[in-house]
Amino acid sequence: MIKTVLGSESYAARVWRKTRNGVGVEVGLAWIGLLVFSAVFAPFLANSMPLLMSKDGIVSAPVLHYLSIEDAWVLASFFIVLLVYRLKLRAVQRIALFLLGAMIAAVLVNLYVSPPKLVIYDDFRSPAYTQVDWRIMPPIPYAPTDYLRDLVSKGLEAPFETTSHLHLMGTEENGADVLSRMIHACRIALSIGLIASGIALFIGVIVGGLMGYFSGIADMLGMRLVEIFEDIPTLFLLLTFVAFFGRSLYMMMVIIGITGWSGYARYVRTEFLKLRKQDYVQAAVASGLPLSSILFRHMLPNGIAPLLVAVSFGIAGAILSEATLSFLGLGVVDAPSWGQMLDQAVKSSSFNWWMAVFPGGAIFMTVFAYNLIGEAFRDAIDPKLSNDSGLE
Amino acid sequence: MSQSLLEVRNLRTYLQSGARQVKAVDDISFSIPKGETFCLVGESGSGKSVSALSVIRLLPQGIATHPSGEILFNHQDLLTLDDAGIRAVRGSQIAMIFQEPMTSLNPVLSIGEQITEALYAHNPDISDSEAEQRTINVLEQVQITHASRRFHDYPHQLSGGQRQRVMIAMALACEPQLLIADEPTTALDVTVQAEILKLMRKIQEDTGMSMLFITHDFGVVAQMAQWVGVMQEGKLVESGSCASVLHQPQHAYTQQLLAALPENLVKPSLQAALELESPAAPLLSIRDLQVFFPINKGLFRRTVDYVRAVDQVSLDIFPGQIVALVGESGCGKTTLGRAVLQLEAPTSGSIKFRGQELIGLSAWTLRPLRQKMQIAFQDPQSSLNPRLLIETTLTEPMKVHGMGDSHEHRIELASQLLESVQLHRDFLWRYPHEFSGGQRQRIGLARALALNPEFIVCDEITSALDVSVQAEILQLLLNLRQQRKLTLLFITHNIGVVEYLSDQTVVMYQGKIVEQGDTAQVCQQPQHAYTQKLLAAVPRLKTSMR
Repeated sequence: MIKTVLGSESYAARVWRKTRNGVGVEVGLAWIGLLVFSAVFAPFLANSMPLLMSKDGIVSAPVLHYLSIEDAWVLASFFIVLLVYRLKLRAVQRIALFLLGAMIAAVLVNLYVSPPKLVIYDDFRSPAYTQVDWRIMPPIPYAPTDYLRDLVSKGLEAPFETTSHLHLMGTEENGADVLSRMIHACRIALSIGLIASGIALFIGVIVGGLMGYFSGIADMLGMRLVEIFEDIPTLFLLLTFVAFFGRSLYMMMVIIGITGWSGYARYVRTEFLKLRKQDYVQAAVASGLPLSSILFRHMLPNGIAPLLVAVSFGIAGAILSEATLSFLGLGVVDAPSWGQMLDQAVKSSSFNWWMAVFPGGAIFMTVFAYNLIGEAFRDAIDPKLSNDSGLE
Repeated sequence: MSQSLLEVRNLRTYLQSGARQVKAVDDISFSIPKGETFCLVGESGSGKSVSALSVIRLLPQGIATHPSGEILFNHQDLLTLDDAGIRAVRGSQIAMIFQEPMTSLNPVLSIGEQITEALYAHNPDISDSEAEQRTINVLEQVQITHASRRFHDYPHQLSGGQRQRVMIAMALACEPQLLIADEPTTALDVTVQAEILKLMRKIQEDTGMSMLFITHDFGVVAQMAQWVGVMQEGKLVESGSCASVLHQPQHAYTQQLLAALPENLVKPSLQAALELESPAAPLLSIRDLQVFFPINKGLFRRTVDYVRAVDQVSLDIFPGQIVALVGESGCGKTTLGRAVLQLEAPTSGSIKFRGQELIGLSAWTLRPLRQKMQIAFQDPQSSLNPRLLIETTLTEPMKVHGMGDSHEHRIELASQLLESVQLHRDFLWRYPHEFSGGQRQRIGLARALALNPEFIVCDEITSALDVSVQAEILQLLLNLRQQRKLTLLFITHNIGVVEYLSDQTVVMYQGKIVEQGDTAQVCQQPQHAYTQKLLAAVPRLKTSMR
């Protein structure tokens, strides 16, 4: 007899092992990892102020002093994620713990972090910061909004053009360092993808799950709702909202989220229609288990894999939406984003390759990375591509 | 013994699975004389299908290798032929039919086209009218009525049995000398199976072809074979004439397989069964139950008709009894079982459990009753949630119903459950995919027992299992019934299992109960015509020696 012995590996662990099984997905994961690192530590990687300095024997950290509320919260959340990852908990408990921690962090940060309202970058080039015993500068000693136009003869510089102010990726028209802006823009790219897809996923799972489980009249009404939302052109809705309510990153996330759930709802519905007749779901019903357990413990984990594939493509889509909007000049004003940088490249009087290549390349790489991960994940859960062949 | 048509000598077939090599067929030798049938029997995974596919060389070339062996067909070694050579043999001299009639025909071609295609492939000079005439002849040969009119029918217009006939017709079209049949009747109902087997025997008599017949069913072997080979783990452990292997088995494995047949199992004494209480009040009382599924058509999904899955069924089940519900596929037996547990909403009628009406109860009021009635399923693959530990599967219902004082206590109860179905208690900490089919069925039973129910619906729980595993499960069920005073509704299509296990038998046909009574009475003196037909169709080891 051929025995089925696979060792005690859970389904999730097996899928993850198979997903990791390839070069493309490693590249994708490495790129996303780099983005996360840049987004979290942006103020320490690219800033005009010293990380640490000692003046007259007093050691101070101007970066920490000028850390914004947002920076502090992102840092805190990152360490909460690391902590939660280390603890041995169930998935649901992990998510709950993270949300709780992030909320507490938000409150604490709002109470205790109070950066100076006005930042004058020229100060950091004044003797107060330069004539010190020693100082440690960030790897890229320019803040994203530190415009060097007045400091040097001309604003626009190609990479490595001058040696006195080294700009690895050149500067834009106002003299701000492109690499610094790229690093700080990671945060927008990541957050819009994750939060918009998160909102869409949340609505999609609930609507799709109810449609699939109850079927019949609930299914019919739900499908009509799905069709209505599928008909809304997201980009034009975004344009309209920007025109009426001004520019806001959060508004963009919410709009992309609440117009993007219909696809996820369809996936969940199909899975649930299939799962509700499965014997183990019937057994759960026959045991009199409560509806929440049947839906979220017995059905959702078995139907979520194809959904996660769709999500990884959805994140890429959301990033593109934001880039498109910023490219059209309707994105966020105060913070740099990749799409907005592309817009600058197009609008400037002469074509400067470094202003287009780097942000364009970053958008391409990010969307590509998410697609690679999505593809690998889809292959991992596809039983037809399984190498196990039942003989393992 | 006349001269042999096919002679397989020391055949080995190794399959490559990732980095591993599986010895699917390991040094087997047999021969098939002209005009006679050789049956390969064995449990799933024993290598019988791979042997057959090796003969016709249908295994994927990169995966399958033959380290040794000869397959002599008319004294020509098939293993040494090139692709063109083997194609000339396939279909025209050796034909094959498969298990699943639903998927082995191409749904977009008419059956006539599919048969003539095979004719054209092997006889390029044949004229259109001649091809059509030969196709109609061969359809008539497999007893398709109005063959000339059915020529242009598509596979979906035929029943399962008719499709298998068309498959046989396709195999016969080129008048092969050897027909390989891989479990050709396993997917069919027993009455249809009987007709197909009879047909195959008749064709063999008429044409004088040889057959390599693969099956797991000893009853079928007894009806079909002159020669039998028993396979185990890729090896041919015993072979010889049908009568000698079936009635004087030499090898321990053959003896074990034959002993595991339900008809050969030692039935526990009736005395023990009668000791159970014989009270007056039925545990479960079904009256005029109807379960209809609407057929919706048109733009507004108007209900034009109903599928009458369960129609006017009345049934009493008394405590401590095992009631077998028998019938062919699609007769409504599974729907009836699920309707009893309120997993399927009945259209009308009444179901009383210990005198309490179940129909119309809300989910909330039904919950305490659910504890008393449980279900175990047919398919070991889908009956357990693949994402949950066995521990969670077993303890969650206990928690919901307030059994056990603490989580630790419930884990202890679950371990005891596993031991009561003869599994190790450490299995609690594993996932379903780590178990074999038989083990999963035991876990499925443990889950049904977790709430200490009085009544369990067993929906074909042994159908997907090998005969030796089936025997173990059946014995386990009888033990559990004794220990726990269980009442069972055992849904099955296997008459052997019914005779072994049940006290009462209920026969269903097209949604209606046609006969019910004591098992011995129903099986030995069937009253209704359908029951008689059903019982006559069952292939049996003892009665069917030709």
